[in-house]
Amino acid sequence: AGPLDGPGAPTAVICSACHGFAGQSQSNTMPILAGMASWYFKKAIQDFAAGKRTSPEMEPYAKQVVQFGLDDVAAYFAAQKRTVTPVTSDPAAIERGRAAAAQCTLCHGASGKGDPAKGVPDLTGQPPGYLKSQMLLFKADKRSPGDAQLKVVKALMATIPDEQLADLAAYWSSVR
Amino acid sequence: APTAADYAQKSGRRVVVIGGGWGGTTAAKYVRLADPSIEVVLLEPNKQFVSCPFSNLVLSGVRTIDSITFGYDRLRAHGVRVLHDTATAIEPDAKRVRVGNDSLPYDRLIVSPGVEFQWEQVEGLAAAQDRVLHAWKAGPQTVELARQLQAMPDGGVFVLTIPPAVYRCPPGPYERTCQVAWYLKNNKPKSKLIVLDANPNIISKTALFRAAWASYPNIEYRGSNKVVKVDPGTREVTTELGDKVKYDVLNLIPPQRAGTIAVSADLVGADKRWCEVNHLTYESVKHKNIHVIGDSTIGLPVPKSGNIANAMGKISALAVVSLLSDKPVPPMAPGNTCYSWVSDREAIAVVNAYKIEGGKVVQIEQKLTPGQSEMWAQNAVGWATSIWQDMLG
Ligand SMILES: Cc1cc2nc3c(=O)[nH]c(=O)nc-3n(C[C@H](O)[C@H](O)[C@H](O)COP(=O)(O)OP(=O)(O)OC[C@H]3O[C@@H](n4cnc5c(N)ncnc54)[C@H](O)[C@@H]3O)c2cc1C
Ligand code: HEC
Ligand code: HEC
Repeated sequence: AGPLDGPGAPTAVICSACHGFAGQSQSNTMPILAGMASWYFKKAIQDFAAGKRTSPEMEPYAKQVVQFGLDDVAAYFAAQKRTVTPVTSDPAAIERGRAAAAQCTLCHGASGKGDPAKGVPDLTGQPPGYLKSQMLLFKADKRSPGDAQLKVVKALMATIPDEQLADLAAYWSSVR
Repeated sequence: APTAADYAQKSGRRVVVIGGGWGGTTAAKYVRLADPSIEVVLLEPNKQFVSCPFSNLVLSGVRTIDSITFGYDRLRAHGVRVLHDTATAIEPDAKRVRVGNDSLPYDRLIVSPGVEFQWEQVEGLAAAQDRVLHAWKAGPQTVELARQLQAMPDGGVFVLTIPPAVYRCPPGPYERTCQVAWYLKNNKPKSKLIVLDANPNIISKTALFRAAWASYPNIEYRGSNKVVKVDPGTREVTTELGDKVKYDVLNLIPPQRAGTIAVSADLVGADKRWCEVNHLTYESVKHKNIHVIGDSTIGLPVPKSGNIANAMGKISALAVVSLLSDKPVPPMAPGNTCYSWVSDREAIAVVNAYKIEGGKVVQIEQKLTPGQSEMWAQNAVGWATSIWQDMLG
């Protein structure tokens, strides 16, 4: 599908102010939405809209998406061909991250592409800055605070030093 | 380089866009993306685009002007005909834009000329336009104000004056307050910053700015202090209450209205200041086939921001393409995020989401960051990277 095709496009173009044109984020902090699995996209928007996953930026925008039609917008981003982040990481950090990545594959899969059955998202190709900040939010129980389903991943993050979180972010960002 | 004379005839459908700022660049690009068979001509006198967002960081030396300056070449690559010229008049009946002696015919016109200053509202200002800096259109004045700030002796007084609402970028003057205060605190500890605000209190992100200012005891904020007179000879401004305030460096932000072309083309309302538009198409309520976007508009529950101008650019582009193809206009609402830097590394933000109800833009929610942080400053960088590319990339 083209970047302005489909019923979700008129709502989705508003998101490019942060997430890049057609969801192809070019920055280190904003997640790529292009090619995002629609089950995960919808969960994220619903969590933001309910105020469960707190974000001053995303809570209002999530409500706007729900208002205009969540299914259409999810289908729009799922249909965009994903290009990986242009932000590159230090090769040494990537190697250190690779060595520590086994603790993630149990849930995110050996490929890092996630598993809809377990509610686990794709990590690959996302900007390293975004992956790292989300891990720090898990560690501090600031992403969806108190969510029972995220207890295990948060407990795991709490055992990992911040420097290793940065290495893991570099690694998963580099995986294709 | 092509000139307006090269576009005196149109063969197919044509959209003309006036103003290559936040609204105009976006509109021009999105018309081309939505329908490459439509010719788009963009008029903008400046050869380079300089971003107002992040320009307050140039004052504090945290950023360079080069880092917020961009060319129009990528827009040309989308097939937009960029003419570095000024629209001098609009002829709505003939559907033509005048550029001096030339005229550009259009099927639909999108007007995004930003703001013009109401010099006459402050006594002594019109005659001193070249010496009293506004730095409210990023560019040479931003650089000059930064230079004056650096050259000011330690112990000097910097005066910043804020016009009554409505003006471009409600939080902008308060972000500037933070940046100037941060610079003075670190470089000229004996100096002070006096803020003369025509409004009774900080008009945007009030509590967040108040909290940030706790780190800057060098700020002396005076609400309800409207400046009515400036004398660059004695280096003094006078408030409505008759108080005289001396300065070493002055930054006077004048009251504003829609860009001059919007006024001369009779697109403004009875107030002679701002343009009323249809909330779904941005077509002027006064003239058919002319759409007005960005800071020049009024009547929507949105701030005058670059983010809003960018959203209006997309919405008006898709509306214009639909109207030119006799298709229904898709219902679209803008969104807004204004990040403000409160130091060299921390930022705050306000976010607004909207819906359409009864043919009007209505706010769903406004949300503020719970405090200031480095994360939001990093998100601000992400926002700027994305939105500059959305306009000009
Ligand atoms: C210090 C400062 C900080 C800001 N920070 C933020 C921020 O962080 N976030 C945010 O969202 N917004 C911010 N803003 C606001 C933002 O810059 C404006 O809202 C935005 O520029 C409005 O876009 P516009 O298209 O209406 O006008 P502009 O971007 O000003 O574009 C108008 C263009 O039209 C051209 N023009 C005018 N008349 C003619 C004519 N007759 N013919 C041809 N061309 C013409 C001008 O040369 C200009 O390039 C800030 C503003 C300032 C001053
Ligand atoms: C002002 C910036 C901004 C805008 C505009 C914006 N977002 Fe976001 N978005 C963010 C930030 C920041 C995050 C990360 C939030 C967090 O910390 O959890 C995010 C996260 C997301 C996520 C979760 C991604 C993931 O991997 O978990 C989705 C989905 C999303 N945004 C969709 C949208 C949609 C759809 C729109 C437009 C309707 C939109 N965003 C507009 C800033 C923005
Ligand atoms: C016990 C299962 C589990 C393990 C182990 C796990 N994760 Fe996750 N992870 C999840 C789930 C579930 C989510 C989705 C959370 C949500 O829906 O908000 C997630 C989300 C993420 C996200 C956010 C992605 C996004 O787009 O916002 C990152 C980053 C992440 N995990 C990194 C890791 C890393 C790195 C490891 C290994 C150190 C790891 N995870 C181990 C279950 C796990």
